[in-house]
Amino acid sequence: MAAVSLSKSERAYIQSSLKAHPPLRADGRGLLDFRTVLLETGVAPLANGSARLNIGKMAREGGGGTEVVAAVKLEVEDVETGDGVDGGRVVCSVTCSPAAYSHLSSNALDELQHDLSVILQQTIAHPTLHPTLHPKNLTIIPRKKAWLLNLDAVVLADAGNVVDALFMAARAALWDAKVPRTRAVQYRAPETLKSPRNDAPGAMDVDEGTSGFDTRDMARTAADFELPDYWDEGEVLDGRDKWPICVTLNLLPSVHLLDATLAEEASIPLRLHLMFSFAPSAPPILQSMRLLGPAELELKDLKDSIAVGERYAKELFTALESKLREEDNRRNIKARDRFALMR
Amino acid sequence: MSSRIEILNDGGFRSDGRKQYELRDITIDLSQQGTADGSATITHGLTQVLVTVFGPREAKMRSQTLHDRAVLNVEMSVAPFSTGERRKRSRADRRILELAAMIASTFEPVVQTTLYPRSQIDIYVHVLQQDGSLLPACINATTLALITAGVPLHDFVCAVTGGVHSTSPLLDLTTLEENDLPHMTVAVMPRTRKVTLVTMETRLHVDRFRELFELACEAGQTIHKEMKAAVKERTVTLVGAMDAGSKPGVVDDRDRDVVMGESI
Repeated sequence: MAAVSLSKSERAYIQSSLKAHPPLRADGRGLLDFRTVLLETGVAPLANGSARLNIGKMAREGGGGTEVVAAVKLEVEDVETGDGVDGGRVVCSVTCSPAAYSHLSSNALDELQHDLSVILQQTIAHPTLHPTLHPKNLTIIPRKKAWLLNLDAVVLADAGNVVDALFMAARAALWDAKVPRTRAVQYRAPETLKSPRNDAPGAMDVDEGTSGFDTRDMARTAADFELPDYWDEGEVLDGRDKWPICVTLNLLPSVHLLDATLAEEASIPLRLHLMFSFAPSAPPILQSMRLLGPAELELKDLKDSIAVGERYAKELFTALESKLREEDNRRNIKARDRFALMR
Repeated sequence: MSSRIEILNDGGFRSDGRKQYELRDITIDLSQQGTADGSATITHGLTQVLVTVFGPREAKMRSQTLHDRAVLNVEMSVAPFSTGERRKRSRADRRILELAAMIASTFEPVVQTTLYPRSQIDIYVHVLQQDGSLLPACINATTLALITAGVPLHDFVCAVTGGVHSTSPLLDLTTLEENDLPHMTVAVMPRTRKVTLVTMETRLHVDRFRELFELACEAGQTIHKEMKAAVKERTVTLVGAMDAGSKPGVVDDRDRDVVMGESI
């Protein structure tokens, strides 16, 4: 995203080795190989869901690579006062660490942050463009209270392919997010107060009729809500299978490559970000796409690129999905077993 | 003033089960981050801070350099999800600027800036989680990041917070305790036994100050042991890697500046 300075001859060297037969990349990967992707969920204990993702960490040295932390935090919003929207809303923001882009001035860094925030916001949280992605369980009390879902991502280090990393981290954090259970509450004066009975003195004050905090059947008239104390943190966010992932095709006429490093990104004229959503038992949906760079692309090539992009995205999606299920397993089922053993 | 949660119960335990002078678990990770020259992640209980150091290098703005020493540039960012209540702080937020200035002034007498005239050392502090003792965590992580970057320091800087509950001093406060107790942060240089930072934002009775201050200085020595062990471990790994790389038969006559062993 942020161009590192690269000389003309370096650029030509990288381009010619990418076009060679067989193509050569500096780290020995094939054109379509990803670097190692590491993912951990539940990294921020104060958030409702969080994930840390690293692409291309060096196994020996334990450093390097693109690193993104994403976290979901829920807030209650009042719909009546105009702050919130009925049905809840999703707001995304991206913060880039100055350490990741140490060559950028603070103004340039702000612009970059804004660019990335807009890509994330428009792809996963646009209220009118993507109504299918909107989670259905963000309502607390219809027309009164709703959850505001804040998705915050922090880019700690950039070693290329930051947009793919951002979307994977966002998907993992949203997958991990738990919406607290709520129960609507309404206060109703007990019947007994209206018709005071003069019973025999010394009669016990028996609680009759409905409680003042009756919570059944009043979703429509409820005034407020409470958080019941329950053993888990809540229910998972609705539609967590649908969150899109991004695959970036770096197009050099005649070849394309995936997961480019910073130097490769700087020497490639055209980049195509494709965001796909793979809902179970439904055809894949292209949620958004962006073509960046100074070069141009023929319409036929664009169609081909989208077709192959879908295939790569599907592979990436499958891999991420299995990792997320494994993390779920590690954090819930195994933790419960360990706890049972300790008792 | 008192909260519903007991700060220190009759058995002498605090709300998280610690004793009065007990510090929280400290985890130190000195692995490399991106292209930084040095970096450190420190976890004090539930407070987690990542610091990356770049430099000494040429300043982006030439006008800000000094002709006889290096300039320490501290930038801080707080992750919006780090606190209980979500709050997005901009980089120009007063509180953040103040913390950054405190870190810079703590390290100015410690870093040997006169060795690098007309250059700049960038220190980027990322707060990933906070649960009390934020400033000490930032200072300890900055010390370690500067050490991994190979910036010459006069000594370690080890910081800790201390508070007083009625008459009994407590160390390494959590957010809950910080909200209720008068507290101060002390940064010490353990080898030279100097103090580079004492800061207090609440009122503390003057009779209690001495006891708390001495206790915090002592706790600084304990934290120093942890930090030294982490640095030593990393250095041993690096020396091992250097040996593994050298070819057999070639006399290894590089002068090693890693005789840190007992001298520190």
